Amino acid sequence: VSLTIGKVAGLAKVSTDTLRYYEREGLIEPAAKTGGGYRLYERDALRRIRFIKQAQECGFTLTEIRALLTLQSDDAACCRDVRRLAVEKKLQLEVKIKSMKVMSKALTRLIDACSAENRPLADCPILAALEGANGVKRRAR
Amino acid sequence: MKIELFVVPGCPACVDARDGLRTAAEELSPRVLWRELNVLEELDYAIELGVTALPAIAIDRELTFSSLPTPQQLREALSRRIEKTT
Repeated sequence: VSLTIGKVAGLAKVSTDTLRYYEREGLIEPAAKTGGGYRLYERDALRRIRFIKQAQECGFTLTEIRALLTLQSDDAACCRDVRRLAVEKKLQLEVKIKSMKVMSKALTRLIDACSAENRPLADCPILAALEGANGVKRRAR
Repeated sequence: MKIELFVVPGCPACVDARDGLRTAAEELSPRVLWRELNVLEELDYAIELGVTALPAIAIDRELTFSSLPTPQQLREALSRRIEKTT
């Protein structure tokens, strides 16, 4: 069964642009092209697209997903190889979360420093702190 | 000097390389303390050190290798650290 790009996009709930992008990124390939250059896909493309979307939801980048797909078709690979990639991804996410928490705390400090009154911008403690003013007042613009 | 090898259990590359690295480290300095950590059991500590790829090696709580070094690379890193601390 050959499906057109529009049909596949509809069934997989992605846009046709996304499918072309996946193709440029080497994640999916049409099974054939018609004489007029229209892409045709087999049904297993839907499974592959679902794989890509779910991996993206777990934080994997397209490059990493390509590696996962390569592993999937590598006879010498086994589950522990995939697990290692998953553990690495978790570590990367946790490091990001940690750094975002630090950013959030910094923002809390800035927000607490400002009472949100109608002060002129030159006296804005948030802008002053971002400029690293060290007690030096911002110049009025 | 503390060397910590972060691994995910069941990693054959880690097991193969571990013994050679440990021997290289212990030959260089008798003060070497070698620890092997399951990253899933020590997740917070791994994150604290910035481990994002496995296997990884930290020397004295500093992430030094994000992939397995050769025994020679490990020896060089340890030598630099010994020089710094003496």
